[in-house]
Amino acid sequence: MNVAPLARRPLGCLKASLRQARQQKMFTRHIATEAAQTTTTTTTTPQPPLEHSFFRLNDRKTKTLRTAFAVYPNTTVAGKTVAPAPVNVVQSLHEVQIAKMDPTGARTALFAKTREAAKPGDVLMVTHRRGGEPFAGVCLSIRRRGIDTAVLLRNHLSKIGVEMWFKVYNKNVAGIEIVKRRPKRARRARLTYMRQPKHDFGSVDDLVFAWKRSRRVFTSGKPTAAAAAAAAKGAKGAVAAKKK
Amino acid sequence: MAPRLPAHCWRQLLVRPTSSSPTTPSTLTRATLPSTTATSAATLPYTQSRTVKSGWSTLPTRFKPHRFNQTTSGLPVPTAGPAASLKRKERTTPVRAGVLATKKGMTVYMGRTGARIACTVLQLDRVQTVLNKTKAKHGYWAVQVGMGERLAGNVTAPMLGYYEAKGIAPKEVLAEFRVRNEKGLLPVGVQLLPDWFHVGQRVDVRSNSRGMGFAGGMKRHGFAGQEASHGNSRNHRTIGTTGPSQGSGARVLPGKKMPGRMGNQRVTIQNLPVLLTDNELGIVVVKGCVAGPKGAVIKIQDACKKDPPSDAHIDKTKKLLEERFPEAEAYLQAARERHLELKEARREKRIEELMTEQADAIEHVIAATAREDATTAAA
Repeated sequence: MNVAPLARRPLGCLKASLRQARQQKMFTRHIATEAAQTTTTTTTTPQPPLEHSFFRLNDRKTKTLRTAFAVYPNTTVAGKTVAPAPVNVVQSLHEVQIAKMDPTGARTALFAKTREAAKPGDVLMVTHRRGGEPFAGVCLSIRRRGIDTAVLLRNHLSKIGVEMWFKVYNKNVAGIEIVKRRPKRARRARLTYMRQPKHDFGSVDDLVFAWKRSRRVFTSGKPTAAAAAAAAKGAKGAVAAKKK
Repeated sequence: MAPRLPAHCWRQLLVRPTSSSPTTPSTLTRATLPSTTATSAATLPYTQSRTVKSGWSTLPTRFKPHRFNQTTSGLPVPTAGPAASLKRKERTTPVRAGVLATKKGMTVYMGRTGARIACTVLQLDRVQTVLNKTKAKHGYWAVQVGMGERLAGNVTAPMLGYYEAKGIAPKEVLAEFRVRNEKGLLPVGVQLLPDWFHVGQRVDVRSNSRGMGFAGGMKRHGFAGQEASHGNSRNHRTIGTTGPSQGSGARVLPGKKMPGRMGNQRVTIQNLPVLLTDNELGIVVVKGCVAGPKGAVIKIQDACKKDPPSDAHIDKTKKLLEERFPEAEAYLQAARERHLELKEARREKRIEELMTEQADAIEHVIAATAREDATTAAA
């Protein structure tokens, strides 16, 4: 290599001659250190074991082995075992979020599919966190969607039918209380027929007023004590009445 | 006209040793130098015969030295071509690679302060880096990423060899993520987990929308359709006229909106905030909706129209990769060596021997463990 440039090297050039001398010097140094290098044992890092199976590709006519490829296990990533992605992640995400938004489990229990839980046809009262008048009404339907579970309440405000959806796990919903249970279980999941004039429940204000008065009779009137008493009674089913 | 090269260049070309000639690829044809230097057989060819085997590249083609393409010509840098294109797109190319995910569905994200945000759950299933693409070799910087698993029987033989050389199990999907420069390249074979993104950062989400099949003008372009009555007969959802009549062209203008295939197109949703990442569930939750049905393959990458994540976050994620997969490089090297060994065996028709060897080794190990068990049981 580099024969041609050396051949054309101008004579009497001090720099090039020195360079050549330097090269020779390096070469001699290399020879000097050669023996020392052979004595040192090079430590190679242990290679990770390769565990693989073979995938056979057979010849179509003769049915004999044409070729084969190594196939590595799909649970191994760079020599480490990894688990496949879990299924039903949306459900898991719901559970994680519900645990965060409802640590006591009161909201979940209120709309669980149990005998004690609220059902369509019951009169419910929802207290809003940002203040304002609590909204009460007949529960027309319960929409169960994990963290997005919601209830539809219907009432009459100044003789006009009003319906409102409330997200059960939302932080803006401070509490939901059962004002009056329906005497007999409704035979529909969605009581949309109650929008018809024939079946309309009308205003629930009287029921709410009576319920509030009865609560006041049983307790000394303190809101926290009232809530505690109501929760203890159970039959009334007042839950999640925690206010910050 | 002959290239304007300095005289010493021509001289050097003349004296170049002929021993280099066998190293030139056979696909290149020998070109002759013009005029006086035509006798030199040692020069590299100027032209290239393109065949099927020569492949495709964005690299600049070998050009003939000309007075316009010399660096000393004083002409401005070209504004077109691969290099100029890369330079132009540099600012909007993300710094880091992205990940592949599967759309799992939509739900809501409840905030601590009462916010209720519609969100989409995207799941990462064993997302691995498969290949780094470099400017020198491929013409651009990119990271190829794979996701999921695929049965070996559903993979073609060339791809089986590809995965074999990397020590990676066959992937369900492979996709490429362009990165700005070599700093965006990643070690091959490592797994990318949801904490690749941080909560609050913006991402671009790409996927194919749900296919609607052949759709009419009303559904596809929102045309108004026609009247239900007033003498209309069987033309309620037709698109009506497609252009003016004779005198103003009497033709259908190109690009006229008409019925046709709708959906199943690549849709990019830009700047979606990341609401949640969970390594255990393997999910990234983004705000809002993402195109495509449940199960659709999604590409998530840092938003190209926002600032990239902070350097601290980028360093952290890279360090995490090293901590989680310290043996990635050694593993890859071992896989490569094994691949070369197997490749040689395939070429020499010895692959069956290797297979029996491995089977024997496995049997041997099983027998040894069984013997050990027996001795321990006896003791």
